[in-house]
Amino acid sequence: MKRYQIVIAAAVVVVLALLPIVVTDQYLLNNAILVVMFIGLTVAWNIAAFGGALSLGHAAFFGLGSYTSALLLLRFDINPWIGMIGGVFVAGLGGLLLCIPLLRLRGPFFTLASLAFVEVLRLLSIYARGLTGGSEGLTVPSRPGWLWMSFLGREPYYYIVLVMSVVTVAISAAIYYSWIGYQLRASGSDDEAVNALGVRSSRLKVFSLVVSAAMTGAFGAFAAQYYFIIDPDTNFSYVLYALQPALNGIVGGMGTVLGPIIGAVLMTPLGEYLRDAFTAEQGLSYIIYGVVLIVVVMVMPGGLMSAIRTGTDRLGRGGRRRAAAAVSKELEPTREEVKP
Amino acid sequence: MQIFIQTLMAGVLLGGVYALVSVGLNLIFGVVRIINFAHGELVMVAMYMTFWMWQLWGFDPYVSFFIVAPVMFLVGLALQRFIIQPIQGSSSAMKIFVTIGVSIVLQNLALYLWGGQYRSVTTSYTTSVLTVGGVNISVPRLIAFAGGLLLVGLLFFFMQRTLTGKVLRSIAEDRDTARLLGIPVSRFYMFATGLSAVLAGVAGVLLTPFSSAFPLYGAQITLIAFIVVVIGGMGNMVGALVGGILLGAIQTLTGTYIAPGLQQVVLFALFIVVVLVRPQGLFGAGVGTEEVGLK
Repeated sequence: MKRYQIVIAAAVVVVLALLPIVVTDQYLLNNAILVVMFIGLTVAWNIAAFGGALSLGHAAFFGLGSYTSALLLLRFDINPWIGMIGGVFVAGLGGLLLCIPLLRLRGPFFTLASLAFVEVLRLLSIYARGLTGGSEGLTVPSRPGWLWMSFLGREPYYYIVLVMSVVTVAISAAIYYSWIGYQLRASGSDDEAVNALGVRSSRLKVFSLVVSAAMTGAFGAFAAQYYFIIDPDTNFSYVLYALQPALNGIVGGMGTVLGPIIGAVLMTPLGEYLRDAFTAEQGLSYIIYGVVLIVVVMVMPGGLMSAIRTGTDRLGRGGRRRAAAAVSKELEPTREEVKP
Repeated sequence: MQIFIQTLMAGVLLGGVYALVSVGLNLIFGVVRIINFAHGELVMVAMYMTFWMWQLWGFDPYVSFFIVAPVMFLVGLALQRFIIQPIQGSSSAMKIFVTIGVSIVLQNLALYLWGGQYRSVTTSYTTSVLTVGGVNISVPRLIAFAGGLLLVGLLFFFMQRTLTGKVLRSIAEDRDTARLLGIPVSRFYMFATGLSAVLAGVAGVLLTPFSSAFPLYGAQITLIAFIVVVIGGMGNMVGALVGGILLGAIQTLTGTYIAPGLQQVVLFALFIVVVLVRPQGLFGAGVGTEEVGLK
């Protein structure tokens, strides 16, 4: 990472930290929290995508994080901050479990296995009524104050989720620019060649999926505190927490550092806006959303990041062509002189 | 014992429909090499078509087959020509996302147009039952099972014996060589996707007399069909048939003897176990499966 990139990133974080001073409207603040949370979720999902794994199972880790933290609080009166660490741990274990199909299957079949993983956990959390409260879910008691991570206003939640997302982005960038990131990306483009060169890509894939799962679990624990209520259909929701981060990542540019952030910043408000704009017409918002997805994938198969990259390349090439034309113009008289 | 046979019977009949859906998925997967996440949505759309033709014009569900099948063929052609073909060369992640996009659009189109309520057809034979040796067999379910069996048989014959079937198999086996031999591969892709959509449509028609149509019906059945395909082996028609029946039987037996809430959990668990122990499926895989991700 270059120094100027770090400076820009720090400036963006400072601006975001100052946001609640300007934005006092609670509705807008809720949207800001959602955007920042989905930046974190998408970036966490994307860590697994460095090695080429396309997971549609991250809702499993989100739900595991939510339920672990909430159950620790309800059953054992354990502080939600510690509960969050518990959520990270359990979600990481879940990630380890999903590593078995990750190492055995490639491409679409890992994606399918990850999807089945979410469904199993969702159905089990409905079934295990005694532990999880079944489909009604659990209600997290409110004890306002920093000690119990529970507040009446939205500002503290915003700061908590902002810190979490900044940490997630920092971890993602650290992995991306380290040797682990280089080897992972290489294995994502040609796993066999990388293995032939002596890189043990399996370990790296396990590492990236477990880190990715653990970070997702942290956001799940945060959501349990923020929403107060958790239930199987929301916290293990394939659409909300598995498809959505993957979608943001694909739109922005899977496997890059900046892509998922751009994707989440663009797609989350779009989703919220469509849902608010078409509340009367059931389903219309998702129709538009689906069409946007299809068009983006068909027009820019590498996501926005690769489109930007080819765009600047083309501009660059255009510039060089113009320069070359200018040079040949200068040379033209000489050529004429050569003519007999 | 009586309950056991009754449950097993219901499971086998259910499995026939699973097989029918899976064979269509297997076809597009084996030939076009695309994982179609919208396959279940095609079944759902066909169910709605059948329902509305019954509701508005009083068509018997089995009669509407003659309208649903050609319409679904056209839907399949359009899907291949305008959605899949432009991204045929891109990575598998992109293909997955495009078909997921199609499934999101179809699900919500159904929700938008027809609402979230369950739509069911009531005919004179909806509740009619055959009793054989003390075991009750629902007639529409039996028709669906027989229809499924018949279609899988026809498709098997078609793929093995006709020239078109042979061309499709040759494309499945080696696309590039087929192209070198002058086979218009993209046109046969359109045909294969159309045929796959017809199979989804027929499944929808056969399901309508005893299942309600609702927008999320497809999401459930897609995942189950994938499990059948993986268990039966990619590109393996007979495997899909046996796998479908096996899955149907396991599902109903779980519902009766363990817990109704765990039916799908057991199916998914079975899927994960099969994938880990025998990734090529129980009955062996077709060629070229490594291209789509199975080692």
